[in-house]
Amino acid sequence: MVEARIDGKPAGIDAAVKRAAEILGAARFPVIAGLGTDVAGARASIALAERLRGAYDHLGSKRIFADLDVLRQAGQFLTTPNEARLHADVLLFVGRDLTRVWPKLLERLAPAEKPELALEPTARKIIWIDAGAVPAELNGLPLVTLDAPDLRSALALVRARVAGKPVAASGEETKKFDEIAKILNEAKFGAAIWGGETIDQLAIEMLYGLLADLNKTTRFSGFPVGAGDNSAGVVLTSGWMTGFPIRTGFGRGYPEHDPWRFDAIRLIESGETDAALWVSSYSQSTPQWEKDIPLVALVAPKTKFGREPQVVIEVGCPGVDHDGAEFARDTGSIIARAASNSSGAPLASAIIARIAEQIDGAV
Amino acid sequence: MLILLKGGRLIDPVNQRDEIADLWIENGRIISPPPGRIPDQAHDLAGKIVMAGAIDIHSHIAGGNVNTARLLLPEMHRAMREAELPFSTAKWSTFETGNIYAQMGFTTVIEPAVAPDHALQAHLELADIPIIDKAALIVLGNDDFLLSLLRDGESRSAVADYVAATLTTANGLGVKCINAGGAAAFKYNARTFELDDVVPHYGVSSRQIVQALQQAVEDLKIPHPLCLHTNNLGIPGNVTTALATIEAARGKPLHLAHLQFYSYGDEGDHGMSSAAAALAEAVNKAPNVTVDVGQVMFKQTVTISSDVLRQFNGASSAKPRKSVIFDGDANGGGIVPYLYQENSFINAVQWACGLELFMLIEDPWRLFFTTDHPNGAPFTTYPDIFALLMSRDARAQAMSRLPEDAVAMTTLNSITREYDLNEIAIMTRAAPARLLNLKDRGHLGVGAVADVAVYSPDKDISKMFRFAHLVFKDGDLVVRDGRVTHYRFGKALTVRPGFDKAIEQRLARYFDHHFGVTDNLFAVPSHLLPHDEPFQEVACQ
Repeated sequence: MVEARIDGKPAGIDAAVKRAAEILGAARFPVIAGLGTDVAGARASIALAERLRGAYDHLGSKRIFADLDVLRQAGQFLTTPNEARLHADVLLFVGRDLTRVWPKLLERLAPAEKPELALEPTARKIIWIDAGAVPAELNGLPLVTLDAPDLRSALALVRARVAGKPVAASGEETKKFDEIAKILNEAKFGAAIWGGETIDQLAIEMLYGLLADLNKTTRFSGFPVGAGDNSAGVVLTSGWMTGFPIRTGFGRGYPEHDPWRFDAIRLIESGETDAALWVSSYSQSTPQWEKDIPLVALVAPKTKFGREPQVVIEVGCPGVDHDGAEFARDTGSIIARAASNSSGAPLASAIIARIAEQIDGAV
Repeated sequence: MLILLKGGRLIDPVNQRDEIADLWIENGRIISPPPGRIPDQAHDLAGKIVMAGAIDIHSHIAGGNVNTARLLLPEMHRAMREAELPFSTAKWSTFETGNIYAQMGFTTVIEPAVAPDHALQAHLELADIPIIDKAALIVLGNDDFLLSLLRDGESRSAVADYVAATLTTANGLGVKCINAGGAAAFKYNARTFELDDVVPHYGVSSRQIVQALQQAVEDLKIPHPLCLHTNNLGIPGNVTTALATIEAARGKPLHLAHLQFYSYGDEGDHGMSSAAAALAEAVNKAPNVTVDVGQVMFKQTVTISSDVLRQFNGASSAKPRKSVIFDGDANGGGIVPYLYQENSFINAVQWACGLELFMLIEDPWRLFFTTDHPNGAPFTTYPDIFALLMSRDARAQAMSRLPEDAVAMTTLNSITREYDLNEIAIMTRAAPARLLNLKDRGHLGVGAVADVAVYSPDKDISKMFRFAHLVFKDGDLVVRDGRVTHYRFGKALTVRPGFDKAIEQRLARYFDHHFGVTDNLFAVPSHLLPHDEPFQEVACQ
């Protein structure tokens, strides 16, 4: 039985789709937000945004743009968890909540195992900058940690010592930076893993500079743990459909990308947007804006709203209720995730397509 | 629907036709003139030129590295014009790609570098390219599994089984090899990699990898010969590598991709000269070798290559100054934006090298028209290149804008050849269809797929090829007066070579042990692609 509500009252799915189409079709400049959905859901959402001449954004935008802005302003060295696992003799972790963002990170990298494809496989050296509580998996391994209340300057200081430049720090601090710099410089193929709430754009750019410097003499690459809710998969889908990532709008009939202008929360709070479609099929996330605007929500079951949306339709979770294509951190690529517990819960992509059909019919 | 194309000049080298005649289409195929029947749709093509739809064998239109390039360079592709069809003006989108190819009369395009672990993304992207049919070549030759097979001296059939299983999972049409072993060696900090250099850890040379893959493709009877991107791409003096690679082919079928990028000598004050004439001569003498050109044009572009070693070395020339260097599971790749400039000595030599190859390689059946989009130039420059091929004056005019010392390092000034429309039709229609064993494409004979391009002859050759008068895809009129009228979605062409399924268990164990993941992750299930029946099989020979 599909759960749907109109104005808080149980409704049939046909009626809910019809009402959703009325709300979105009547909007002057609607926004599609959340976008916690698989590739098919993202594809349907972006197509609907174009159809409606609206805009779209993802709930993980802040983390997405921390990485993406560095990539497109400076560049990046990237590798995959597989390569880190098989090749890396040095692992450089940056950020205290990496394993909270990606609980399987250490299982995936198997830091206690020697890198199988290294020329001379030896125990990996591990550096963790801003470690917080060190995960138990690393107990007993060669680990150097560095507390870093300010990640930007910590990375800048490490980078300076890697390049043999003087730093303004105490003798003891310098000794620590030198210890880390020596490990990094002696790496044969190192992998940096970064992400979480404590690393911002400037720190990531500094890390990129460090990687660029290291690659002058040795090999070092890395990857971000990124954001959840298939954010990377949605960005990639948006990339091939429009040329641009999320925070793109179609007000002029062609895609324009502007991370400030098409920030969903800003659009709504400023009154530029007059209706929203919220999609969250992976988690029970809800919109983070305050303003009361007409809202259609396609969400995971039992999602609790502070303010009841005009229309709620519960949708299945990709990879659980139905098969889906999504970005997998495990491989660093879009993969086919088979349903683990196939159910009849509707696909977000199918509901969005039905809404689009209703709107087309009305025109 | 019965369609009559009346009285156009049919240029159809496969059927040795160049004559004014009628062409009939029904149910997506070209048919014999049906006596006594009235067409449902008739087009008067007096004065027009009718060819089969063009086939591009080498254009980077989809996949992980292409999409990273889109995200790296938002400033390079701002849209400006309202869309008539969904996303049709979204620059560099999959949708715009299909629109522009169709407008030029291209109906089949091959994406030549899909990593097996990115096959699903590549096929999702290909599925969103409207109108044209497409296909993927799957990149092998830097993958641990293959290198380990070779290191351990495993049998020819084990290599063939692995290649076939990977192609089948990834839904590829053929095999691409990019700087064989070079990307793997780069992980061990190699900064150059030659044909006889050995990949550390494996003890296998680039030559051995190329020959093993060439053998596997032959054993599997895959129509497209191994598509090879050689070592030392883009480096002055690299013609010796290209010549040695042609030798290394030992008379077996080999396709050399974007030959222009390996046609450099190291003579002169700048240590860079054209060696295209010598290379063209070697190609002329090697009937087992096919090549595409990878013509350079003077434009802002972005180089997208799975030759991560080359891209890393080239990153210092990035313009704008940013790049992504990706150490992937096998090849990975590098995205380096680049500006080809008329006043650059090196770029001028590169431009001339490509044209020399076009002019000096004699057999249009073994020479394919490419820019290695977008590496030499975006595919949108094709019409301008047709003009250069067909007009000596156009070349002279273009040369007059280049540094004289650069032109002097080439033979282009002395070349008088001008392509005719038959040669263009061979190079862009008939020959690619033969290379790929697409028996019902690339020609206008009865039974052929009704992929047809109609052009209006014009003194401005580039205008003629930029905006086709009419284009039919599978008998459906999709372009009128250079504009796409509606979308339809084509197929991805694949091969399904037979192989011993025992390799599948072995691969499953390998993925489980090495990567801790199941190899099913890399499958490309049809039902996750947006259109029904997304694949069409091409027979192995």
